[in-house]
Amino acid sequence: MDPHRVRAVAKRIVLGFRRDHRSLGLLFAAPVLVLSLVGAVWGEATERAPVVVVATDRFSGPPGVIDRFLASNAIHGRRATFDEGDHQLRAGEADALVWLDSPSATMHVVIEGSDPLTSGTIGGAVQRALTEGLATLGQLPGPKIVVDQLYGGAEYSLLDYLAPVLIAFFAFFFIFLLSAVSFLRERTTGTLERLMASPLRRGELVLGYLAGFSFFALLQAIVILLFTVFVLQVQYRGNLATIFIVEAVLVIGAVSLGLLVSAAARNELQAVQFVPIVLLPQVFLSGLLIPVDQLPDYLRPLSALLPLTYANEALRVVMIKGYELADPLVLRDIGVLLAFGLIMAAGAVASIRREVA
Amino acid sequence: MGVTSDVAVSAAGLRKNFGATPALGGLDLRIRPGEIYGLLGPNGSGKTTFIRCVAGLLRPEAGTLTVLGGSARDAVSAGRIGYMTQAPALYGELSVNENLRFFAALQGLPRSDDRIAEALRTVDLLDRRHSVVNTLSGGMRTRVSLAAALLHRPSLLLLDEPTVGVDPLLRQEFWTHFRELASSGITILVSSHVMDEASRCDRLGLIRAGVVLAEGSASDLVARAGTRDLESAFVALAEAR
Repeated sequence: MDPHRVRAVAKRIVLGFRRDHRSLGLLFAAPVLVLSLVGAVWGEATERAPVVVVATDRFSGPPGVIDRFLASNAIHGRRATFDEGDHQLRAGEADALVWLDSPSATMHVVIEGSDPLTSGTIGGAVQRALTEGLATLGQLPGPKIVVDQLYGGAEYSLLDYLAPVLIAFFAFFFIFLLSAVSFLRERTTGTLERLMASPLRRGELVLGYLAGFSFFALLQAIVILLFTVFVLQVQYRGNLATIFIVEAVLVIGAVSLGLLVSAAARNELQAVQFVPIVLLPQVFLSGLLIPVDQLPDYLRPLSALLPLTYANEALRVVMIKGYELADPLVLRDIGVLLAFGLIMAAGAVASIRREVA
Repeated sequence: MGVTSDVAVSAAGLRKNFGATPALGGLDLRIRPGEIYGLLGPNGSGKTTFIRCVAGLLRPEAGTLTVLGGSARDAVSAGRIGYMTQAPALYGELSVNENLRFFAALQGLPRSDDRIAEALRTVDLLDRRHSVVNTLSGGMRTRVSLAAALLHRPSLLLLDEPTVGVDPLLRQEFWTHFRELASSGITILVSSHVMDEASRCDRLGLIRAGVVLAEGSASDLVARAGTRDLESAFVALAEAR
């Protein structure tokens, strides 16, 4: 293994993309664009305080409670009769109709209820407003509401939950695609033949590819992190170095898988056709959209085979919960990703052998 | 780095199949050190297959192949082989200089500016060293490709149809370079299907269906076949089989 030759290959890749502005644009601008969309769609969904109508004609209890409840920042409150409120709720002008029944110590909340996602946030907001109202009044023997949130909080949005896995997804997707197409070009333009007729070893070639593309992957991760933290204001607790380590071991697998796929494709069109096969199962089964523990039992073993499952888990606990590198869960995920990467890299080396020599 | 034996490349009974298609059908030939050996034959006759065997890219299924006194792979690992592929295999998005630096680094020449200048002077492209390869003409790319094969001063230069698609003037220049290189002690194996080009080689191997029909200088072969030119000699020797 000659480090100079490995470095030469890595440098060749970096220099090559310097003039390929479209690929660079794809690498950096596309994640920013998609994240902006995600931010616009989901980022503010829970920050909008729901419109809550207090049915004064059904309300029983000290009048101070209504004032305090309506003053809460968690909701946009107003007073109305039950019938008016019911009408507003049905017309979509209000999100919830509430009243407190002191004798039975019950807080009644009526919501529209057709969208489960919104319903959850309304319930939470009403609970928060009521808790605030009750707390300022002291010992009212009212309904006991306990809201427990270990992570996140009032400003915690779906975007915060999605950002860590999107970092992993973009890194995997773009690096896989770029390495597959780059290596396919080596095969089709004859440069691979030239490389194999030089002292360069196959292992050195794969290592050079890993180094060259890791450079772009880390650069991409920096851009995504800066954008999500400073522009989209995603909550973020974890150690930056740990995020990069997870990213780096993920990229080993992505590059190597790209090299493997390039052996099975005859042209760039065919290489691109591998994208849905490699990526879509990971979108659905890696915990990106649906938590892994909510998957049907028979799909979970499949999920356990996918590298993004581990990258998602590790990045989520690091970024959202602030786990350290030394945490057993993080170490396990990094270990699995590294093992996946090494197996794929060995496969990539073997796939080069089959074609030449 | 000199060749110790009196044979640079020797092949005996070399066989290679691609699936059911035989590419080399028991090929025998000997290339002497410092000569320009031309492999002459039609498309699909096994020229490229043989060159790829010598470059260590294909493993023959039967027969023996000795390259510079050892195995092809050893010669490649030692950086003693320069290989110019049929199409100019270069990185189009890199400059000429960046391409050559890369190939030099693979040959273990990290500080290669002098070698690059030397190789570019040989192919008369020194003034284009900072041009991006994609902006060069086809002929220029072929010249860069040759320069890339020369950087590490190989003992054996493999040229797979180097003058295909090259204009007559440049073809003339190329042969001048080849002759210069040969007189500096480099052994050259060049494949071609152009008969008039073949007469510039020291010796020729007429190849057809993966077998060498006859070996010798152009004039030898013409005399042996009793024909007027090389093309008729090729036909006569092929029919005699």
